[in-house]
Amino acid sequence: MRHTDSATVKLHHALYAQEAIAAAADTFADFASFAVRRDGDHYVVEVTDITSAVEGDVVAEFCNFALANTATLRKGSDA
Amino acid sequence: MTAPQIETLTPETATLSLSLDMDLYPRDVLYAAAYVFIDRAYVLLDQIVPRFIVHFRGKDTLNEAALRALAGEFENELLAQALRHRVVNANQRIIEAITSLAIAGAAGPSELDPISEGAERDSALIDMRDPGDDGFLNDPLGVAVPWEPTKKET
Repeated sequence: MRHTDSATVKLHHALYAQEAIAAAADTFADFASFAVRRDGDHYVVEVTDITSAVEGDVVAEFCNFALANTATLRKGSDA
Repeated sequence: MTAPQIETLTPETATLSLSLDMDLYPRDVLYAAAYVFIDRAYVLLDQIVPRFIVHFRGKDTLNEAALRALAGEFENELLAQALRHRVVNANQRIIEAITSLAIAGAAGPSELDPISEGAERDSALIDMRDPGDDGFLNDPLGVAVPWEPTKKET
């Protein structure tokens, strides 16, 4: 598996749940390495070792998953 | 400014940023609307009080017209989800009551509770052990008789 790129994503803590980010990171663990830390109002996600062997944008898909997971978690907690 | 506003629009990268008034759209409405778009765009949420910022990047190439259409669709979706949110909140107790009744009905009568079983039998609309008295097997006009060619003349 080829590893190439890296990226940094900032997700606002009021809009993204930490467990949702962790779950998204688990989902994409085969395609990149994720390190999450809190920096002020944001969770900063350092994405490294992004494999180039997979079609699509791993970082952007990770963000979509984090958003979807957060929405699902919030819906569940409201029920 | 309270209406959603296009902050940036870049067809070259198929990206679009919108800002929304936080007081106008609850966070759950924002999630629900954004969720609808994640199959065709990459969506990133942010906030700079007093506004939410929504960044879109199309999964396919999008020209300016397509990006403006995406913004319009998102605004429509926000309104639809806001209404849905309002209706659900207004009818929360009714929804819970109906759901409880449905679950209780699916569970069936309790075998350990002869009192409630008798009450259910008394309240039945049709007594299946004596259907004639309830009239649903009576057929004074003969409409329940199947039509057959041999009875054509009668």
